[in-house]
Amino acid sequence: MILYRQLSPIIILSGMAFFLLSGCTKDVKEENTNIPLRIRQPAHFPKPVYTFDNNPPRRTVYELGKRMFFDPILSLDQQVSCGTCHAASAAFADPRGSAVSTGIFGRKGLRNTPALANLIWYPHFNQDGGINHIEVQPVAPINDSLEMGVGIANAVSILQNHPEYPELFARAFDSDSVTAARILWAFAQFMGSLVSDNAPIDAYYRENKPLPDKAIRGKSIFDEYCAGCHTGVLQSDFSFKNNGLNMGSHDIGRAEITGESQDEGRFRVPSLRNVAYTAPYMHHGQLNTLKDVIEAYSSSIADHPNLDPGLPVGGFGFSSQQKEDLYQFLLQLSDHSFVNQSF
Amino acid sequence: MKRLISNFKGSLLILPAIFIFSLTACSSDDDDNGNGDTKASVTIKFDHGWGPNHLPFNLNTALIHPATQEEITFTLLRYYVTNIELHHEDGTVWKEEDSYRIVTVEGNSSTQEITIPNVPNGEYSAVKFMIGVEEERNTSGAQEGALSPAENMFWDWSTGYIFFKAEGMSPAAPNGQFMYHIGGFEDPFNAIRSTTIAFGTQRLNVTSGSNTSINLKVNTARFWHGGISLADVFSIHMPNANAVTIADNWIGAYRFDELKN
Repeated sequence: MILYRQLSPIIILSGMAFFLLSGCTKDVKEENTNIPLRIRQPAHFPKPVYTFDNNPPRRTVYELGKRMFFDPILSLDQQVSCGTCHAASAAFADPRGSAVSTGIFGRKGLRNTPALANLIWYPHFNQDGGINHIEVQPVAPINDSLEMGVGIANAVSILQNHPEYPELFARAFDSDSVTAARILWAFAQFMGSLVSDNAPIDAYYRENKPLPDKAIRGKSIFDEYCAGCHTGVLQSDFSFKNNGLNMGSHDIGRAEITGESQDEGRFRVPSLRNVAYTAPYMHHGQLNTLKDVIEAYSSSIADHPNLDPGLPVGGFGFSSQQKEDLYQFLLQLSDHSFVNQSF
Repeated sequence: MKRLISNFKGSLLILPAIFIFSLTACSSDDDDNGNGDTKASVTIKFDHGWGPNHLPFNLNTALIHPATQEEITFTLLRYYVTNIELHHEDGTVWKEEDSYRIVTVEGNSSTQEITIPNVPNGEYSAVKFMIGVEEERNTSGAQEGALSPAENMFWDWSTGYIFFKAEGMSPAAPNGQFMYHIGGFEDPFNAIRSTTIAFGTQRLNVTSGSNTSINLKVNTARFWHGGISLADVFSIHMPNANAVTIADNWIGAYRFDELKN
């Protein structure tokens, strides 16, 4: 705030020069910063959780967030960007198909990299739901010594001392002073812009466009067995469940946040949007293919004190036809245009 | 420094004036605050001492706790002081806007101070502040200033501010170290605490240009109070029942010393 006030006379001066030349139009800072950005909010989606009220979408802020997202200088070894583990080609999951994320110095993370899409509809972040707001999510991987590890305070000074970033911050925020909040606002605009709404299931919801026959049969199986948790157009109710497929992982999941034993082995119900692109599956990458996932729910659900009551120990016992139909339905959740974006 | 900035700003007020004169329709957004007449800054000094007798407190110095007799060496003491209010005797209250600061015990000095600018003139009989950060700021995303996550008083993996940190060494702890990171803004582990410190019969007289101060004593032995020993509780890094107990203890560390009018 103090910095802004110190700068404002300079802005006024440059504004004056502009005025004298061209009369009463906009001053320079407005020209730079006020180009709005439209972030799609599809009509068949619910109301978003994050509304950008304090972070109005602008082209310059989005561009800054996008550049930082793909820039490895925000990691301790200068090799890992957000985009290393979250690539468009894998629906912003890990394009290398690793069971768990690979961070700085080749360090293995603790969990499978989640896909990113439609994040402004998320009520919480990370698979244990520990993060309560889209703006503060990036602090976690930036600080985590198994992920980017540079630390948010260090990130501020790296960007402030960079030959190009201060100018990008000046265009985005009227001031070339880099702060953690500005970094996070820019990330939120880029992350929030990743809207996936063009899968066959969207055409089905939006225009009643029919799915292929096999997928229609798959949908009725899905609706009966899966949609209780993988609900609606976002394909998640964002609750925390133990699905009996921990398969030897000792990760306590949600309990790490709440400290409650009833939350042990519970993880956020993931959205299944673009699920065909995001292998491997489960919080620890235990299952390699979608067909493995269907098979696991059919025949491998293990008992656990916190097993979700909707899941039968042993599994649903699907027939091979049901498994194939479910698989065909899951393919209808793929948004090819989203995955084929280039940045 | 502050004076330099305000002089600098003052001289620059001429520029927008010229600007408005020469181009009538175009307004400047510079504020015209001529606030010097009715406000002054107030300093709050936190004098950290050890135990009820206020023995010398320093980092990296072994101290014996007066109640538990445990040997305790602090390496870090850092806390949020927020939502500062000054109370008039008649019960009316002045609240500082956007009131967030961090106090850090550093170097050889055990006294730290914070400055509250723009306090309205008046006679005040008490100060109130919060050790912590209210729920709304814990749940509304990125914050600036003292609330920046870059201040390292923020849990990145389970969103929330760390209201205070005390770290150090003690032979009473199983691994020889203690670490209290205390926060939590939701029941049942809400660790937000406020204290109102009355000035007794004294009054803080804020007048134009005055530079008054409120001197407080902070008892750093207070973490271990009410039967809690360091051997019992040596590591807290998330909201829980122990964090609530330590927060209850710590808010009792602050007491009135004197006013400097």
